Amino acid sequence: MIELNAATKRYGSLAAVDDVSFSVRTGEYFALLGPNGAGKTTVVRMLLDFARPTSGSLSINGLSSTHAACRTSVGYLAENHRIPPHLSGWQYLRRCAELLDMDRSDAVDQCRRIVELIGMQGREHTRAKTYSKGMIQRFGLGAALIGDPKLLILDEPTAGLDPIGIREIRLLLESMKTREMTIFLNSHLLSEVEKICDTAAIINRGRLLVKDTISAIVKNGETLEDVFVRLVKG
Amino acid sequence: MNTPRSVRPIINIAKYTFADEVRQRSFVVMFVICALAIFLTRGCYQGSYVVNGQALDAGAVAGAVSKATFHVIAVAVMLLAALLSMRIFRRDRDDGMQSSILSKPITRRQYVTGKILGLWALSTLFMFILHAVLFLIVSVTLKEAVPGYLAASLACSSSLLFVVVAVLLLSLFVPDIVAFLCVMGIGVVDLATEGLYALSTSRMVTAMMPPSDALAQSSVSWVKVLHCGWPKLSRTQHFASAFIGGEGLHGFGAAYPVVNLLLYCLILGVVLFRRFGNEDIL
Repeated sequence: MIELNAATKRYGSLAAVDDVSFSVRTGEYFALLGPNGAGKTTVVRMLLDFARPTSGSLSINGLSSTHAACRTSVGYLAENHRIPPHLSGWQYLRRCAELLDMDRSDAVDQCRRIVELIGMQGREHTRAKTYSKGMIQRFGLGAALIGDPKLLILDEPTAGLDPIGIREIRLLLESMKTREMTIFLNSHLLSEVEKICDTAAIINRGRLLVKDTISAIVKNGETLEDVFVRLVKG
Repeated sequence: MNTPRSVRPIINIAKYTFADEVRQRSFVVMFVICALAIFLTRGCYQGSYVVNGQALDAGAVAGAVSKATFHVIAVAVMLLAALLSMRIFRRDRDDGMQSSILSKPITRRQYVTGKILGLWALSTLFMFILHAVLFLIVSVTLKEAVPGYLAASLACSSSLLFVVVAVLLLSLFVPDIVAFLCVMGIGVVDLATEGLYALSTSRMVTAMMPPSDALAQSSVSWVKVLHCGWPKLSRTQHFASAFIGGEGLHGFGAAYPVVNLLLYCLILGVVLFRRFGNEDIL
Protein backbone atom coordinates (compact mmCIF):
# COMPACT_ATOMS: atom_id res chain seq x y z
CA MET A 1 0.00 0.00 0.00
CA ILE A 2 2.81 2.42 0.90
CA GLU A 3 6.29 2.27 -0.64
CA LEU A 4 9.27 4.44 0.19
CA ASN A 5 12.15 4.00 -2.19
CA ALA A 6 15.40 5.64 -1.03
CA ALA A 7 13.38 8.69 -0.01
CA THR A 8 15.61 11.62 0.94
CA LYS A 9 14.68 15.11 1.98
CA ARG A 10 17.36 17.72 2.50
CA TYR A 11 17.01 21.25 3.81
CA GLY A 12 20.32 22.79 2.78
CA SER A 13 23.02 20.59 4.29
CA LEU A 14 20.61 18.98 6.79
CA ALA A 15 19.15 15.62 5.78
CA ALA A 16 15.74 15.45 7.49
CA VAL A 17 15.13 12.05 5.87
CA ASP A 18 18.12 10.16 4.53
CA ASP A 19 17.75 7.31 2.04
CA VAL A 20 14.76 5.68 3.77
CA SER A 21 13.14 2.64 2.14
CA PHE A 22 10.34 0.50 3.51
CA SER A 23 6.86 -0.66 2.62
CA VAL A 24 3.57 -1.03 4.47
CA ARG A 25 1.17 -3.74 3.34
CA THR A 26 -2.60 -3.38 3.03
CA GLY A 27 -4.39 -3.95 6.33
CA GLU A 28 -1.25 -3.40 8.40
CA TYR A 29 -1.27 -1.26 11.54
CA PHE A 30 2.11 0.37 11.15
CA ALA A 31 3.93 2.76 13.49
CA LEU A 32 6.78 5.04 12.54
CA LEU A 33 8.73 5.70 15.71
CA GLY A 34 11.52 8.07 16.49
CA PRO A 35 12.58 10.82 18.89
CA ASN A 36 11.61 14.45 18.23
CA GLY A 37 13.25 15.72 15.04
CA ALA A 38 13.95 12.20 13.74
CA GLY A 39 12.15 12.90 10.44
CA LYS A 40 8.81 11.17 11.10
CA THR A 41 6.65 14.14 10.17
CA THR A 42 8.80 14.81 7.08
CA VAL A 43 8.05 11.26 5.89
CA VAL A 44 4.33 11.91 6.35
CA ARG A 45 4.57 15.26 4.59
CA MET A 46 6.33 13.65 1.64
CA LEU A 47 3.68 10.91 1.49
CA LEU A 48 0.96 13.56 1.26
CA ASP A 49 2.98 15.65 -1.21
CA PHE A 50 3.21 18.53 1.26
CA ALA A 51 6.96 18.40 0.66
CA ARG A 52 8.74 16.98 -2.37
CA PRO A 53 11.60 14.48 -1.79
CA THR A 54 15.03 15.73 -2.78
CA SER A 55 15.66 12.27 -4.23
CA GLY A 56 13.99 8.88 -4.17
CA SER A 57 10.29 8.24 -4.47
CA LEU A 58 7.20 7.52 -2.40
CA SER A 59 4.00 5.89 -3.55
CA ILE A 60 0.55 5.02 -2.25
CA ASN A 61 -1.33 2.20 -3.94
CA GLY A 62 1.24 2.12 -6.72
CA LEU A 63 0.72 5.79 -7.58
CA SER A 64 3.48 8.33 -7.01
CA SER A 65 2.79 10.57 -4.00
CA THR A 66 2.98 13.57 -6.33
CA HIS A 67 -0.30 12.50 -7.98
CA ALA A 68 -3.38 13.85 -6.24
CA ALA A 69 -5.23 10.64 -7.24
CA CYS A 70 -3.11 8.59 -4.80
CA ARG A 71 -4.89 10.42 -1.94
CA THR A 72 -8.33 9.27 -3.13
CA SER A 73 -8.77 6.83 -0.28
CA VAL A 74 -6.53 8.39 2.33
CA GLY A 75 -7.57 9.99 5.62
CA TYR A 76 -5.10 12.28 7.38
CA LEU A 77 -4.91 13.64 10.90
CA ALA A 78 -2.22 16.28 11.39
CA GLU A 79 -0.12 16.72 14.49
CA ASN A 80 -1.76 19.55 16.50
CA HIS A 81 -4.80 19.46 14.28
CA ARG A 82 -6.59 22.78 13.84
CA ILE A 83 -10.12 23.73 12.81
CA PRO A 84 -10.96 27.28 11.64
CA PRO A 85 -12.31 28.88 14.84
CA HIS A 86 -15.41 30.34 13.17
CA LEU A 87 -16.60 26.92 11.96
CA SER A 88 -18.48 24.39 14.04
CA GLY A 89 -17.31 20.79 14.11
CA TRP A 90 -20.30 19.90 11.95
CA GLN A 91 -19.49 22.57 9.34
CA TYR A 92 -15.89 21.39 9.28
CA LEU A 93 -16.91 17.77 8.71
CA ARG A 94 -19.36 18.87 6.00
CA ARG A 95 -16.63 20.75 4.18
CA CYS A 96 -14.34 17.74 4.35
CA ALA A 97 -17.12 15.52 2.97
CA GLU A 98 -17.93 17.95 0.15
CA LEU A 99 -14.27 18.15 -0.81
CA LEU A 100 -14.39 14.37 -1.26
CA ASP A 101 -17.06 14.96 -3.89
CA MET A 102 -19.94 13.53 -1.87
CA ASP A 103 -23.44 14.69 -2.64
CA ARG A 104 -25.37 16.58 0.01
CA SER A 105 -27.38 13.70 1.47
CA ASP A 106 -24.37 11.34 1.55
CA ALA A 107 -22.30 14.04 3.23
CA VAL A 108 -24.95 14.62 5.92
CA ASP A 109 -25.32 10.87 6.55
CA GLN A 110 -21.57 10.38 6.82
CA CYS A 111 -21.13 13.36 9.12
CA ARG A 112 -23.93 12.18 11.40
CA ARG A 113 -22.34 8.73 11.61
CA ILE A 114 -18.87 10.20 12.26
CA VAL A 115 -20.15 12.51 15.01
CA GLU A 116 -21.59 9.46 16.73
CA LEU A 117 -18.40 7.47 16.23
CA ILE A 118 -16.20 10.16 17.80
CA GLY A 119 -18.72 10.69 20.60
CA MET A 120 -19.35 14.37 19.95
CA GLN A 121 -23.14 14.37 19.77
CA GLY A 122 -24.54 17.57 21.21
CA ARG A 123 -21.32 19.54 20.67
CA GLU A 124 -21.09 19.38 16.90
CA HIS A 125 -22.89 22.67 16.30
CA THR A 126 -20.83 24.85 18.64
CA ARG A 127 -17.94 26.83 17.21
CA ALA A 128 -14.48 25.29 17.19
CA LYS A 129 -13.06 28.16 19.25
CA THR A 130 -14.94 26.75 22.25
CA TYR A 131 -13.49 23.23 21.80
CA SER A 132 -10.79 21.70 23.96
CA LYS A 133 -7.69 20.20 22.34
CA GLY A 134 -9.11 16.71 22.78
CA MET A 135 -12.35 17.69 21.05
CA ILE A 136 -10.48 19.24 18.12
CA GLN A 137 -8.39 16.09 17.84
CA ARG A 138 -11.55 13.97 17.80
CA PHE A 139 -13.11 16.08 15.07
CA GLY A 140 -9.81 15.84 13.19
CA LEU A 141 -9.93 12.07 13.43
CA GLY A 142 -13.57 12.18 12.36
CA ALA A 143 -12.64 14.27 9.31
CA ALA A 144 -9.92 11.74 8.45
CA LEU A 145 -12.50 8.94 8.59
CA ILE A 146 -14.94 10.59 6.19
CA GLY A 147 -15.36 8.60 2.98
CA ASP A 148 -14.27 5.33 4.65
CA PRO A 149 -10.61 5.63 3.65
CA LYS A 150 -8.51 2.52 3.05
CA LEU A 151 -5.44 4.23 4.51
CA LEU A 152 -5.35 6.39 7.62
CA ILE A 153 -2.25 8.51 8.18
CA LEU A 154 -2.08 9.78 11.75
CA ASP A 155 0.68 12.16 12.73
CA GLU A 156 1.01 12.16 16.54
CA PRO A 157 -2.75 11.75 17.05
CA THR A 158 -2.45 11.89 20.83
CA ALA A 159 -0.04 14.84 21.03
CA GLY A 160 -1.08 17.21 23.80
CA LEU A 161 -3.94 15.04 25.03
CA ASP A 162 -4.48 14.03 28.64
CA PRO A 163 -4.39 10.32 29.59
CA ILE A 164 -8.16 10.01 29.16
CA GLY A 165 -8.01 11.60 25.72
CA ILE A 166 -5.13 9.32 24.74
CA ARG A 167 -7.10 6.27 25.87
CA GLU A 168 -10.19 7.38 23.94
CA ILE A 169 -8.23 7.85 20.72
CA ARG A 170 -6.55 4.46 21.22
CA LEU A 171 -9.89 2.71 21.77
CA LEU A 172 -11.25 4.41 18.67
CA LEU A 173 -8.30 3.18 16.61
CA GLU A 174 -8.57 -0.32 18.04
CA SER A 175 -12.25 -0.41 17.16
CA MET A 176 -11.32 0.15 13.52
CA LYS A 177 -9.31 -3.06 13.27
CA THR A 178 -12.41 -4.80 11.95
CA ARG A 179 -12.64 -2.42 8.98
CA GLU A 180 -9.61 -3.78 7.08
CA MET A 181 -8.04 -0.36 7.15
CA THR A 182 -4.31 0.31 6.86
CA ILE A 183 -3.02 2.63 9.54
CA PHE A 184 0.22 4.61 9.34
CA LEU A 185 0.76 5.94 12.85
CA ASN A 186 3.44 8.46 13.57
CA SER A 187 4.15 8.55 17.26
CA HIS A 188 6.62 8.53 20.08
CA LEU A 189 4.13 7.15 22.61
CA LEU A 190 5.57 3.65 22.67
CA SER A 191 3.07 2.11 25.09
CA GLU A 192 0.18 3.13 22.83
CA VAL A 193 1.96 1.85 19.72
CA GLU A 194 2.63 -1.49 21.40
CA LYS A 195 -1.11 -1.82 22.12
CA ILE A 196 -2.37 -0.80 18.67
CA CYS A 197 0.17 -1.67 15.98
CA ASP A 198 1.41 -4.89 14.35
CA THR A 199 4.56 -3.54 12.69
CA ALA A 200 6.89 -0.64 13.37
CA ALA A 201 9.91 1.17 12.02
CA ILE A 202 12.31 3.24 14.08
CA ILE A 203 14.11 6.20 12.54
CA ASN A 204 16.65 8.53 14.06
CA ARG A 205 18.33 11.57 12.49
CA GLY A 206 16.54 10.77 9.24
CA ARG A 207 17.92 7.23 8.93
CA LEU A 208 15.93 4.02 9.21
CA LEU A 209 17.22 1.85 12.05
CA VAL A 210 14.80 -1.07 11.94
CA LYS A 211 11.53 -2.12 10.33
CA ASP A 212 9.79 -5.32 11.40
CA THR A 213 6.81 -6.73 13.27
CA ILE A 214 6.64 -5.52 16.85
CA SER A 215 6.98 -9.11 18.10
CA ALA A 216 10.23 -9.46 16.11
CA ILE A 217 11.59 -6.11 17.31
CA VAL A 218 10.79 -6.78 20.98
CA LYS A 219 12.58 -9.92 22.16
CA ASN A 220 14.07 -11.51 25.27
CA GLY A 221 11.77 -9.90 27.82
CA GLU A 222 12.54 -6.37 26.60
CA THR A 223 9.84 -3.74 26.08
CA LEU A 224 9.48 -1.60 22.95
CA GLU A 225 10.78 1.28 25.06
CA ASP A 226 13.98 -0.64 25.90
CA VAL A 227 14.60 -1.46 22.22
CA PHE A 228 13.82 2.11 21.19
CA VAL A 229 16.25 3.61 23.69
CA ARG A 230 18.96 1.10 22.81
CA LEU A 231 18.65 1.75 19.07
CA VAL A 232 18.33 5.51 19.27
CA LYS A 233 21.19 5.96 21.76
CA GLY A 234 23.21 3.69 19.52
CA MET B 1 -26.19 19.73 -16.12
CA ASN B 2 -23.37 17.85 -14.41
CA THR B 3 -20.30 19.78 -13.38
CA PRO B 4 -17.05 18.10 -14.51
CA ARG B 5 -15.37 16.19 -11.67
CA SER B 6 -12.22 18.28 -11.74
CA VAL B 7 -14.19 21.54 -11.48
CA ARG B 8 -16.23 20.57 -8.39
CA PRO B 9 -13.39 20.98 -5.86
CA ILE B 10 -12.56 24.36 -7.40
CA ILE B 11 -16.14 25.51 -6.96
CA ASN B 12 -16.23 24.21 -3.39
CA ILE B 13 -12.98 25.96 -2.46
CA ALA B 14 -14.20 29.18 -4.12
CA LYS B 15 -17.46 28.87 -2.16
CA TYR B 16 -15.64 28.43 1.17
CA THR B 17 -13.29 31.34 0.40
CA PHE B 18 -16.26 33.55 -0.40
CA ALA B 19 -18.17 32.52 2.74
CA ASP B 20 -15.14 32.86 5.03
CA GLU B 21 -14.35 36.38 3.81
CA VAL B 22 -17.95 37.63 3.88
CA ARG B 23 -18.42 36.59 7.49
CA GLN B 24 -15.50 38.74 8.63
CA ARG B 25 -16.59 41.75 10.62
CA SER B 26 -14.09 44.08 8.90
CA PHE B 27 -15.58 43.17 5.52
CA VAL B 28 -19.15 43.88 6.64
CA VAL B 29 -18.11 47.20 8.22
CA MET B 30 -16.28 48.23 5.04
CA PHE B 31 -19.27 47.33 2.89
CA VAL B 32 -21.71 49.32 5.02
CA ILE B 33 -19.39 52.36 5.10
CA CYS B 34 -18.96 52.29 1.30
CA ALA B 35 -22.69 51.91 0.67
CA LEU B 36 -23.47 54.78 3.07
CA ALA B 37 -20.80 57.00 1.51
CA ILE B 38 -22.31 56.49 -1.95
CA PHE B 39 -25.79 57.08 -0.61
CA LEU B 40 -24.67 60.34 0.97
CA THR B 41 -23.36 61.65 -2.37
CA ARG B 42 -26.92 61.77 -3.69
CA GLY B 43 -27.16 65.37 -2.44
CA CYS B 44 -24.53 66.35 -5.04
CA TYR B 45 -26.92 65.46 -7.83
CA GLN B 46 -29.74 67.67 -6.57
CA GLY B 47 -27.96 70.99 -6.02
CA SER B 48 -27.98 73.87 -8.49
CA TYR B 49 -24.49 74.88 -9.54
CA VAL B 50 -23.57 78.32 -10.86
CA VAL B 51 -20.20 79.11 -12.47
CA ASN B 52 -19.38 82.68 -13.55
CA GLY B 53 -23.03 83.56 -13.10
CA GLN B 54 -24.21 80.80 -15.43
CA ALA B 55 -26.25 77.88 -14.13
CA LEU B 56 -24.78 74.51 -15.04
CA ASP B 57 -26.83 71.79 -16.65
CA ALA B 58 -27.97 69.47 -13.83
CA GLY B 59 -27.65 66.42 -16.07
CA ALA B 60 -24.03 67.24 -16.94
CA VAL B 61 -23.17 67.77 -13.26
CA ALA B 62 -24.81 64.49 -12.30
CA GLY B 63 -22.92 62.70 -15.07
CA ALA B 64 -19.56 64.12 -13.99
CA VAL B 65 -20.11 63.42 -10.29
CA SER B 66 -21.36 59.91 -10.93
CA LYS B 67 -18.35 59.14 -13.15
CA ALA B 68 -15.99 60.35 -10.44
CA THR B 69 -17.86 58.22 -7.88
CA PHE B 70 -17.67 55.26 -10.26
CA HIS B 71 -13.86 55.53 -10.36
CA VAL B 72 -13.58 56.02 -6.59
CA ILE B 73 -15.64 52.86 -6.01
CA ALA B 74 -13.47 50.86 -8.41
CA VAL B 75 -10.25 52.02 -6.71
CA ALA B 76 -11.67 51.36 -3.23
CA VAL B 77 -12.69 47.82 -4.20
CA MET B 78 -9.24 47.21 -5.71
CA LEU B 79 -7.77 48.16 -2.33
CA LEU B 80 -10.21 45.85 -0.60
CA ALA B 81 -9.43 42.97 -2.99
CA ALA B 82 -5.72 43.45 -2.29
CA LEU B 83 -6.34 43.49 1.47
CA LEU B 84 -8.41 40.31 1.31
CA SER B 85 -5.93 38.52 -0.94
CA MET B 86 -2.76 39.35 0.93
CA ARG B 87 -3.41 37.06 3.90
CA ILE B 88 -5.49 34.34 2.32
CA PHE B 89 -2.73 31.69 2.12
CA ARG B 90 -1.37 32.52 5.57
CA ARG B 91 -4.79 32.32 7.20
CA ASP B 92 -5.59 29.02 5.51
CA ARG B 93 -2.24 27.69 6.71
CA ASP B 94 -2.78 28.94 10.28
CA ASP B 95 -6.33 27.54 10.40
CA GLY B 96 -5.11 24.13 9.23
CA MET B 97 -7.47 24.33 6.25
CA GLN B 98 -4.69 24.26 3.67
CA SER B 99 -3.29 20.91 4.83
CA SER B 100 -6.81 19.61 5.33
CA ILE B 101 -7.77 20.42 1.72
CA LEU B 102 -4.51 19.29 0.14
CA SER B 103 -4.52 15.96 2.00
CA LYS B 104 -7.56 15.12 -0.13
CA PRO B 105 -7.36 14.18 -3.82
CA ILE B 106 -7.22 17.84 -4.76
CA THR B 107 -4.32 19.29 -6.74
CA ARG B 108 -2.56 22.47 -5.75
CA ARG B 109 -3.74 24.05 -9.01
CA GLN B 110 -7.36 23.35 -8.10
CA TYR B 111 -6.77 24.85 -4.65
CA VAL B 112 -5.17 28.05 -6.01
CA THR B 113 -7.80 28.38 -8.76
CA GLY B 114 -10.55 28.05 -6.16
CA LYS B 115 -8.95 30.74 -4.02
CA ILE B 116 -8.58 33.12 -6.99
CA LEU B 117 -12.17 32.54 -8.11
CA GLY B 118 -13.59 33.01 -4.61
CA LEU B 119 -11.77 36.30 -4.05
CA TRP B 120 -12.50 37.55 -7.55
CA ALA B 121 -16.20 36.70 -7.34
CA LEU B 122 -16.47 38.36 -3.93
CA SER B 123 -14.73 41.60 -4.92
CA THR B 124 -16.61 41.76 -8.25
CA LEU B 125 -19.94 41.30 -6.49
CA PHE B 126 -18.97 43.91 -3.88
CA MET B 127 -18.10 46.41 -6.62
CA PHE B 128 -21.19 45.52 -8.65
CA ILE B 129 -23.51 46.16 -5.70
CA LEU B 130 -21.88 49.53 -4.99
CA HIS B 131 -22.07 50.48 -8.68
CA ALA B 132 -25.69 49.30 -8.72
CA VAL B 133 -26.44 51.68 -5.82
CA LEU B 134 -24.83 54.46 -7.88
CA PHE B 135 -26.86 53.40 -10.91
CA LEU B 136 -30.10 53.63 -8.90
CA ILE B 137 -29.24 57.06 -7.52
CA VAL B 138 -28.33 58.43 -10.98
CA SER B 139 -31.38 56.84 -12.59
CA VAL B 140 -33.71 58.34 -9.99
CA THR B 141 -32.02 61.76 -10.22
CA LEU B 142 -31.99 61.93 -14.00
CA LYS B 143 -35.30 60.08 -14.27
CA GLU B 144 -33.84 57.79 -16.89
CA ALA B 145 -32.06 54.45 -16.57
CA VAL B 146 -28.36 54.45 -17.42
CA PRO B 147 -27.53 50.71 -17.63
CA GLY B 148 -23.99 51.56 -18.73
CA TYR B 149 -22.96 51.61 -15.04
CA LEU B 150 -23.56 47.89 -14.70
CA ALA B 151 -21.71 46.98 -17.90
CA ALA B 152 -18.87 49.29 -16.86
CA SER B 153 -18.72 47.61 -13.47
CA LEU B 154 -18.26 44.21 -15.08
CA ALA B 155 -15.57 45.61 -17.40
CA CYS B 156 -13.67 46.82 -14.30
CA SER B 157 -13.57 43.31 -12.89
CA SER B 158 -10.48 42.51 -15.00
CA SER B 159 -8.57 44.98 -12.79
CA LEU B 160 -9.77 43.08 -9.72
CA LEU B 161 -8.59 39.79 -11.20
CA PHE B 162 -5.17 41.32 -11.79
CA VAL B 163 -5.00 42.66 -8.22
CA VAL B 164 -6.03 39.29 -6.71
CA VAL B 165 -3.55 37.24 -8.77
CA ALA B 166 -0.68 39.70 -8.28
CA VAL B 167 -1.16 39.95 -4.49
CA LEU B 168 -1.52 36.18 -4.10
CA LEU B 169 1.69 35.65 -6.06
CA LEU B 170 3.66 38.29 -4.20
CA SER B 171 2.42 37.03 -0.82
CA LEU B 172 4.36 33.82 -1.53
CA PHE B 173 7.62 35.76 -1.79
CA VAL B 174 7.35 38.71 0.57
CA PRO B 175 5.44 39.57 3.78
CA ASP B 176 1.72 40.15 3.22
CA ILE B 177 1.78 43.88 3.76
CA VAL B 178 4.70 44.28 1.33
CA ALA B 179 2.74 42.30 -1.29
CA PHE B 180 -0.18 44.70 -0.77
CA LEU B 181 2.04 47.77 -1.05
CA CYS B 182 3.81 46.43 -4.17
CA VAL B 183 0.53 46.02 -6.03
CA MET B 184 -0.60 49.45 -4.91
CA GLY B 185 2.77 50.69 -6.19
CA ILE B 186 1.98 49.18 -9.60
CA GLY B 187 -1.20 51.26 -9.61
CA VAL B 188 0.67 54.45 -8.69
CA VAL B 189 3.36 53.87 -11.36
CA ASP B 190 0.57 53.22 -13.86
CA LEU B 191 -0.98 56.60 -13.05
CA ALA B 192 2.43 58.28 -13.32
CA THR B 193 3.20 56.69 -16.71
CA GLU B 194 -0.23 57.74 -17.96
CA GLY B 195 0.54 61.32 -16.94
CA LEU B 196 4.03 61.25 -18.44
CA TYR B 197 2.75 59.71 -21.63
CA ALA B 198 0.05 62.35 -21.97
CA LEU B 199 2.72 64.97 -21.39
CA SER B 200 5.18 63.44 -23.86
CA THR B 201 2.58 63.29 -26.61
CA SER B 202 1.20 66.76 -26.00
CA ARG B 203 1.79 69.23 -28.81
CA MET B 204 3.31 71.79 -26.46
CA VAL B 205 6.03 69.41 -25.23
CA THR B 206 6.89 68.02 -28.67
CA ALA B 207 7.11 71.55 -30.03
CA MET B 208 9.42 72.59 -27.18
CA MET B 209 11.75 69.64 -27.69
CA PRO B 210 14.56 70.19 -30.20
CA PRO B 211 14.61 67.32 -32.76
CA SER B 212 18.39 66.90 -32.28
CA ASP B 213 18.16 66.27 -28.49
CA ALA B 214 18.82 62.52 -28.43
CA LEU B 215 18.52 62.23 -24.63
CA ALA B 216 15.09 63.83 -24.56
CA GLN B 217 13.97 61.69 -27.51
CA SER B 218 15.10 58.47 -25.84
CA SER B 219 13.37 59.47 -22.59
CA VAL B 220 10.17 59.93 -24.54
CA SER B 221 10.64 56.50 -26.16
CA TRP B 222 11.11 54.90 -22.74
CA VAL B 223 7.97 56.55 -21.45
CA LYS B 224 6.12 55.17 -24.48
CA VAL B 225 7.46 51.62 -23.96
CA LEU B 226 6.62 51.74 -20.24
CA HIS B 227 3.21 53.15 -21.02
CA CYS B 228 2.50 50.40 -23.51
CA GLY B 229 3.75 47.45 -21.45
CA TRP B 230 2.84 48.42 -17.86
CA PRO B 231 -0.35 46.87 -16.38
CA LYS B 232 -3.08 49.18 -17.57
CA LEU B 233 -5.19 49.63 -14.47
CA SER B 234 -6.25 53.23 -15.00
CA ARG B 235 -6.80 52.78 -18.74
CA THR B 236 -9.10 49.84 -17.99
CA GLN B 237 -11.09 52.20 -15.79
CA HIS B 238 -11.39 54.65 -18.64
CA PHE B 239 -12.34 51.85 -21.00
CA ALA B 240 -15.07 50.78 -18.58
CA SER B 241 -16.35 54.31 -17.99
CA ALA B 242 -16.85 54.67 -21.74
CA PHE B 243 -19.87 52.40 -21.31
CA ILE B 244 -21.49 54.94 -18.99
CA GLY B 245 -21.45 57.92 -21.28
CA GLY B 246 -22.30 55.79 -24.29
CA GLU B 247 -19.00 56.92 -25.80
CA GLY B 248 -18.03 54.83 -28.76
CA LEU B 249 -15.37 52.13 -28.42
CA HIS B 250 -13.39 51.91 -31.61
CA GLY B 251 -11.30 48.92 -32.66
CA PHE B 252 -8.73 46.87 -30.79
CA GLY B 253 -7.04 49.97 -29.38
CA ALA B 254 -9.98 50.68 -27.12
CA ALA B 255 -9.97 47.16 -25.67
CA TYR B 256 -6.16 46.98 -25.40
CA PRO B 257 -6.06 47.86 -21.66
CA VAL B 258 -8.32 44.89 -20.85
CA VAL B 259 -6.28 42.58 -23.10
CA ASN B 260 -3.10 43.88 -21.44
CA LEU B 261 -4.46 43.11 -17.95
CA LEU B 262 -5.73 39.68 -18.96
CA LEU B 263 -2.30 38.85 -20.42
CA TYR B 264 -0.70 39.91 -17.15
CA CYS B 265 -3.21 37.76 -15.23
CA LEU B 266 -2.28 34.79 -17.42
CA ILE B 267 1.48 35.26 -16.96
CA LEU B 268 1.24 35.94 -13.21
CA GLY B 269 -1.21 33.04 -12.86
CA VAL B 270 1.27 30.63 -14.47
CA VAL B 271 4.05 31.86 -12.15
CA LEU B 272 1.67 31.59 -9.15
CA PHE B 273 0.78 27.96 -9.99
CA ARG B 274 4.44 27.04 -10.45
CA ARG B 275 5.54 28.76 -7.27
CA PHE B 276 2.73 27.34 -5.14
CA GLY B 277 3.40 23.92 -6.68
CA ASN B 278 6.90 24.03 -5.20
CA GLU B 279 5.85 25.40 -1.80
CA ASP B 280 6.16 23.22 1.28
CA ILE B 281 2.74 22.87 2.92
CA LEU B 282 3.01 23.36 6.66
